[in-house]
Amino acid sequence: MADPVPSGGGRGPVSGAIYDLGYRPYDGPRNGLGAIAWALFVEGFRNAFGLGRSGRSKVLPFLLLGINLLPVVIIVGVLVFIHLDELPLGYAAYASRTQVLLSIFVAAQAPVLFSRDLRHGTIALYLARPLPSTAYAVARWASLLAATLVFLLTPILALYLGAVLGELDFGEQTAAALKAALLAVLLATGLTGISGLIASVSVRRGFAVVATIAVLLLGNGVVTAVQGISEEQSRPRIGEVAGLFSPYSLYRGAMGALTDERVLTPPTGGGLQAAYFGVMVALALVSLGALLVRYRRLAGR
Amino acid sequence: MTVLNPTILRLSAQALLGRRRGLVLMLIPGLVLVLAVVVRALTEEGVGYDIVSEVGYTLALPIVALLAASAVLGPEIDDGSIVYLIAKPVPRHAVAVSKYVVAWLATVALGAFPLFLAGVVLDASEPGRAVAWGFASLVSGTAYTALFLGLAALTRHAVVIGLLYVLLWEGLLGALLTGIRWLAIGPWGLQVGSAISDAVDEPGTGLTYALLAALVVTAGSVWFAGDRLRSFTLRGDE
Repeated sequence: MADPVPSGGGRGPVSGAIYDLGYRPYDGPRNGLGAIAWALFVEGFRNAFGLGRSGRSKVLPFLLLGINLLPVVIIVGVLVFIHLDELPLGYAAYASRTQVLLSIFVAAQAPVLFSRDLRHGTIALYLARPLPSTAYAVARWASLLAATLVFLLTPILALYLGAVLGELDFGEQTAAALKAALLAVLLATGLTGISGLIASVSVRRGFAVVATIAVLLLGNGVVTAVQGISEEQSRPRIGEVAGLFSPYSLYRGAMGALTDERVLTPPTGGGLQAAYFGVMVALALVSLGALLVRYRRLAGR
Repeated sequence: MTVLNPTILRLSAQALLGRRRGLVLMLIPGLVLVLAVVVRALTEEGVGYDIVSEVGYTLALPIVALLAASAVLGPEIDDGSIVYLIAKPVPRHAVAVSKYVVAWLATVALGAFPLFLAGVVLDASEPGRAVAWGFASLVSGTAYTALFLGLAALTRHAVVIGLLYVLLWEGLLGALLTGIRWLAIGPWGLQVGSAISDAVDEPGTGLTYALLAALVVTAGSVWFAGDRLRSFTLRGDE
C-alpha cells in the first residue's frame, strides 16, 4: 500500500502522522487463487450440511440424510435375515425411489450456498478479494455438487457393503454399484446446476425452494404422466422423447438403458439412448455455464 | 371490529402477484392445463385423467397453496418489515385473516379452478367428475393454504417444513401407511370429491370427519397465525 505520510517505520510516533499507527503489516506467505477457491469449497460443503452454522440448520440436512439411509438398513436387514440372492431394490433404482428426499435436500440447501451471499450483500466482500466471480461460482457449484453426491452415493455404498458382506456375487454387485454411481454423478450435476441457478436468480429463500421443487418434481410428474399415457396408447416413442425433458426422467431413461431395471418407456435404439446421456451432460454444462454468466454479471455491477 | 382490512388485502395481493412470484404461480396451473389440452387433442376422451389426480391434485395444488401462503407472509417476516405492519392499530387476527383471504383466493383461482378446467378438458362427457375434483381441491386447497400460513407465522423454515409435510408425510409415507389418511389434508379433499362423483376414489375417512377435520385445521391455523403475530418476536437469520 502506498504510504502517503512520512513514515515512522512503525518505530515510535512521528509528530503530525495520523495514518501510520505503527501496526505491523502482514508479510507472511499469501495463498493463491487455488487455496482461496479450495477454502470456499470446503466451507460451502460443510455449510450444506449445516456444519459451521447454527444447530438448527443442521437438523434438516441430517434428518433428510437419515431418512434417506433408513430404507438401506431395512433392505440389508431383509437381505441377510431371509437370505435373498439379490437386492430387493437395485442401486440405481434407489435414487429414483427416494427422489422426493433428494429434491428437498437440493432445493433447501442450494439457497444456503447461493442466495445468502446475494441477499446480505456479502458477495461484494468475496469479489473484492483476488477471486474472480467465475471461481466463486465454480467453488459454490462444486460444494453443492459434493453435498448432493454424498446424499446420493452414501446409500449406494451402504447397500453395496451390505450386499458384499452378505456374500452376493461380488463381480455382479460391483458392476451394478459402479453403474449406479456413474448415473448418480450425472444426475447430481444436473440437479446442482438447476437448483444453483434458481437460487442465484431468486434471492428469497422460500421462493427459490418452491421454484426448484416445482421444476424438479412437477416437471417429473408431467413427464411421467405423458410416459404413462403413451405406454397405455402403445405409442412408446412419444414417452421416450418426453423423457428428455426432466432430470429425473432422464435419470430413469439412462437407468433403463444401462441396467435391466424396469422403467416406464425406456429409450429404445442406440441414438435415443445416446441422446439421454448427451442431454444429461448438456444439462449439467449449460446450467453451470448459465451460473457463471449470472455471477459475471453480478460482479460487473 | 372489521375482520378484513382493505389496505392489507391490497398489499398482500401485490406481494402475491408481483414480479416473478406471480409468474411462477401462473405457470404451474398453466402447465397442467396445457398438458391436459395436448393430451386431449392427441387421444380420445377420458384418457390421461391421472393428470388431474397425480400431477394436479397431489403436486400442483399443494405447491400453489404453499407459494401463495408463504408469499403473503414470508417475505415480510424474512426482512423484518412485518413490524411496521403490526405496529399499526389493526388487530393482529385481522391481519392474519386478511392475508389468508388473499392467499386462499389465489389458491382457488390458480390451484383448484384449473384442476376443474383440466377435468372438463380431459373428459367433457362426464362433467360430474370434473366438478368432484374441483370440490376436492377446493376443500384441500382451503386447508393447505391455512396450514401453510400458520407455518409461515411459526417459523422461517415454513416452506421446507410445508414441503416435507406434503411430499414426505402425505406423499411417500401416505402411500405406505394408509392410516395417514386420518391426518392428511389430501385424503379429506378426496373424500369430499368422492361424495360428489364415484369416479374419485374414496379414501374412507367418512364425509363428516373429512369436512370437520378440514374445518378445524383451517380455522385453527388461521387463528394460530393471528396469535403468533400477536406475540411476535423478531429473530435474526440463522
